[in-house]
Amino acid sequence: MTTRYAARAAAGALAALLVLAGCSSKAKDSDDGDGDKAAGGVRTGEGISGKTITLGALTDMTGVYATLGKSVTQAQQLYVKQLNAAGGVCGYKVALSVRDHGYDPQKAVSGYTELEPKVLGFAQFIGSPFVAAVKQRIDGQDKALVLPQAWSAALLGSPYIRVIGSTYDIETINAVDFLIKEKGVKKGDRIGHVYFEGDYGESALVGSQHIAKEAGLTVVEQKIKPTDNDMTAQVTALKQAGVKAIVISAGPRQAASLVGVAAASGFAVPVIGNNSAFAPQLLATQAGPALTKNYYVASPSLPIGADTPEAKKLVADYRAAYPNDALDNGIVAGWTAASAFGEALKKACANKDLTREGVDKALLSIDSYDVGFGVAQNFTDPKAPSSRESVILQPDEGVTGGMKVVREAGASKVAEGYTPGA
Amino acid sequence: MSEVLVKPLRPVRSRTYLWAAGGVVLLALPFYLDRFWLQAGLFAMAAAIGAIGINLLTGATGQLSMGHAFFLAVGAYGYCVFAADGGDGLTGLGLPTWLAAVLAVLVAGAAGGLFSPISGRLSGAYLGIATLALVFIGQHVMFNAHDLTGGANGRDVPPLSLFGLTFDDRELLVAAVPFGSAEKLWYAGLVLLAAGALFARGVLRGRPGRAMNAIRDHRIAAGVLGVPVARHRAAVFVLSSMYAGLAGVLLALVFQRTVPDYFGITLSLEYLAMIVIGGLGSVSGAVAGAVFVSLLPQLLTRYSDALPLVSAPGTGGIAPGEASRYLYGAAVVLVVLFLPGGLVGAAARRHVGPRSGEIHPGEER
Amino acid sequence: MSTFAEILLNGLSLGSVYALIALGFVVIFRATEVVNFAHASLLLAGGYVTAVLHDDIGFWPALLAGIAGAALVGAAVEFLVMRRYRGTDHSVLAIVTIGVDILLTTELTRRIGTDVLTLGDPWGDAVLRLGPISLAHTRIAAFVAAALLITAFLLAFRYTSWGVAMRAAAESAETAALMGVRLGRVSMGAWAVAGGLAAVAALFLTVFPTPGLERATSLAALKAFPAAILGGLDSTTGALVGGLLVGVTESLATGYQSDLTFLGRGLGDLAPYLVMVAILLIRPAGLFGTKELARV
Repeated sequence: MTTRYAARAAAGALAALLVLAGCSSKAKDSDDGDGDKAAGGVRTGEGISGKTITLGALTDMTGVYATLGKSVTQAQQLYVKQLNAAGGVCGYKVALSVRDHGYDPQKAVSGYTELEPKVLGFAQFIGSPFVAAVKQRIDGQDKALVLPQAWSAALLGSPYIRVIGSTYDIETINAVDFLIKEKGVKKGDRIGHVYFEGDYGESALVGSQHIAKEAGLTVVEQKIKPTDNDMTAQVTALKQAGVKAIVISAGPRQAASLVGVAAASGFAVPVIGNNSAFAPQLLATQAGPALTKNYYVASPSLPIGADTPEAKKLVADYRAAYPNDALDNGIVAGWTAASAFGEALKKACANKDLTREGVDKALLSIDSYDVGFGVAQNFTDPKAPSSRESVILQPDEGVTGGMKVVREAGASKVAEGYTPGA
Repeated sequence: MSEVLVKPLRPVRSRTYLWAAGGVVLLALPFYLDRFWLQAGLFAMAAAIGAIGINLLTGATGQLSMGHAFFLAVGAYGYCVFAADGGDGLTGLGLPTWLAAVLAVLVAGAAGGLFSPISGRLSGAYLGIATLALVFIGQHVMFNAHDLTGGANGRDVPPLSLFGLTFDDRELLVAAVPFGSAEKLWYAGLVLLAAGALFARGVLRGRPGRAMNAIRDHRIAAGVLGVPVARHRAAVFVLSSMYAGLAGVLLALVFQRTVPDYFGITLSLEYLAMIVIGGLGSVSGAVAGAVFVSLLPQLLTRYSDALPLVSAPGTGGIAPGEASRYLYGAAVVLVVLFLPGGLVGAAARRHVGPRSGEIHPGEER
Repeated sequence: MSTFAEILLNGLSLGSVYALIALGFVVIFRATEVVNFAHASLLLAGGYVTAVLHDDIGFWPALLAGIAGAALVGAAVEFLVMRRYRGTDHSVLAIVTIGVDILLTTELTRRIGTDVLTLGDPWGDAVLRLGPISLAHTRIAAFVAAALLITAFLLAFRYTSWGVAMRAAAESAETAALMGVRLGRVSMGAWAVAGGLAAVAALFLTVFPTPGLERATSLAALKAFPAAILGGLDSTTGALVGGLLVGVTESLATGYQSDLTFLGRGLGDLAPYLVMVAILLIRPAGLFGTKELARV
């Protein structure tokens, strides 16, 4: 009895399936061309419907990079608002579609899959492992411009995924160069490098090892996990190894602990961190005094408190829009990425091609773009980061954003001659 | 009262039609749904396979495992190692991909077997926390054994090939609908899930299932009754690991890249939440729980703009990610307190109504 | 040698904090046979209350409030959730605590947001120097506080009526109930004590050398799991020894990372679990745990 029912049901199912499949809306239309021509002769494609250009932002507001994600996203929302107030691009308004993945790979990949068909490109994508996870799709078929908020050398080389500013390895080279030029580290010395397990830390380690080889230094490695918050054992080990300076490629908390412990135990060597190893919130903690004394940060651009008219305007506008939120360098990163995307859109508009290919091409033609944070971005070579320069900053409570400049933007000789990924 | 006479026939019939209708819908979905939904469905299917595995172990046999994520990772990375051709500089044996998938599942089972000195002896909380060690060891290896795993950025997953059909993104037109990897994998996922579910149901309904429940309910009594307790526990652990391995392979194929961040302790906890929410000890419970836990965050994120209380990221208030965590944390607590037997148990009771003289295998105590 | 001594001392002090957390597990396990995976959120709750209040009412009152707050949260979890469970399967209850943990941690991390909260402790970053060895005052305070609390707890466990009731309940719940022990009160008390201990642990996990309380602080509770297990889940001595062992192992594995590169770097988190697995292979009930006896 059951089998007969089952057989009948199966047959019915198959028939139903064939009928249903015929009228799917997903079926390919015959006129699915490469792009539509809108009024004014501008070619458009995915990501533009009606009078709106949609950009995606895959961010982390509830996970480990929540601090960065919040600042970057709010800065980008501010940029889009101002861009629209100034008339938009080509008569189109720009909209930012934000998805929070909370640093969870499944949500990140889902967010990409959801937004990809609807957006022209991504102004933000936090988490280099996740960018790597969809890299095949970006390079293979989607071909949308993606500006990751991850400065990993592993992401270079794709014409569509474009890292803005110096990657961590180059930044670390510039940081060690600062230690050599200004802090008396010389040939034969040992330097300590405390770094996160994972892409960020390991990318930075490649840089410190590279310049150590060039300059005759020895790197003493200390690998930590993002959950380690107490750097006592690391400082003890580095002290024992007799290092003359320490590089830290970790989070703000680890940097604060490291600097605090070193200072408290009378181990007064200079410490320099990558741009992710500082947050202004730390100045209010016990590590504050030690941080302002002996800690430096290498950054891909001038800090948010920079003395340029553009920076001052951004600070004023951001404060007006988000009065309760801290001013940090995530805002600069978000703003720079959004304006680079905006610039590419404007160029693409001038070329009358607002398709994904058009925007990719437009970005490739931008060779010197400065949003007012001291570093010119050159997007003409997909194999290289858009800049090799770093600014060296020092925490200072009296300055907006908590950082002042101690060495202006510049690329060290070693950084100039370095090929990422080689 | 006359209705009672007809009843023995009707459930069979309506049930068959229900299954058939459900089957049609599932088979037809790739023709209609976006890649986003198909991918979400595939995540749910993979989770369901993994959840069936852990429900055999934790739900039916009473062995608390917090190391499920580790075995998923073994499956996912195992597949990559067996199937990759080494073109990206990482270890790859270049085997046919279907063989690689089978081997990956076997390796996950073997990993479970290797753990048997621990899993055979410990139980309860001890076993739970001992298996937690596996997750930490697994993540350490994933981040450090660069040649095997590609380190923090993971490694590419070679697409599965079966009978000349490759489950990749090259478009294949079926009834004028372009089929990419998600559409093709959908069917593979359905087949694997159905096979896994049927097998597990067979295990649970047969002798081994009764032995497992006996071990859960009273280990020593089971031993006295002649159930080879140690052997059964080790065997269930291996079987559960193989399910996890299969789920890992499917996940890897959907992700197209394996990244170590995914296989953390949160994932292990999610699997436990799935079986508690769905219903301990049954296959349908595992599937229901898996669908609930894996689709909930996706739904909330997708419709964050339209939901009350939930706010779009960057506007303050409760973010969708947080909302889904609240919901599923609350679901775990509420289901255990008010719906013993989980969602499936509740549904079954409702179905049967007051006639409920029937005993559900998961509820025997 | 001085490096070794410094690493060892720091490990011991860290270990005493882990011992406080592990003791909480053990207390709850003895009273209710449930493994409390929500311990991390109790810890975060205690720290959060202290951090929020210390500016207004001063550090010591804030710390007391934090301890009371965490104890209250613990008792509430017991009363609102654990007591309502009708089944008998303790693994299911363990999973329920995971649900509770998710709820509490999500709420607390949402409140903490992206801030790093200081607890306003009186020790600051002062350091004691004994020849070549330097040790932070906070570390010494942690060690002393943990020693005092654990001693007080062990005495209470042995001599007060609450302690007797609890041991009776652990021995045989049914007999104890027949003898007039109010089981509900015992288990609620256990949860409250565990919460209080976790709040103290939270203090010492967030003062110097760590910058302050933030969303990831609760992860430290993960390190107390191996501590509780390797000592034996039902042994208070075990929690103490387990905590110290985990602290020292972690500290040594980090401090001598350069000599252990063959295992891969960054072993600190992993080492306690490896030690735990090794011990469980030899003694399945942990170092001091009672071997399970069963009546059929």
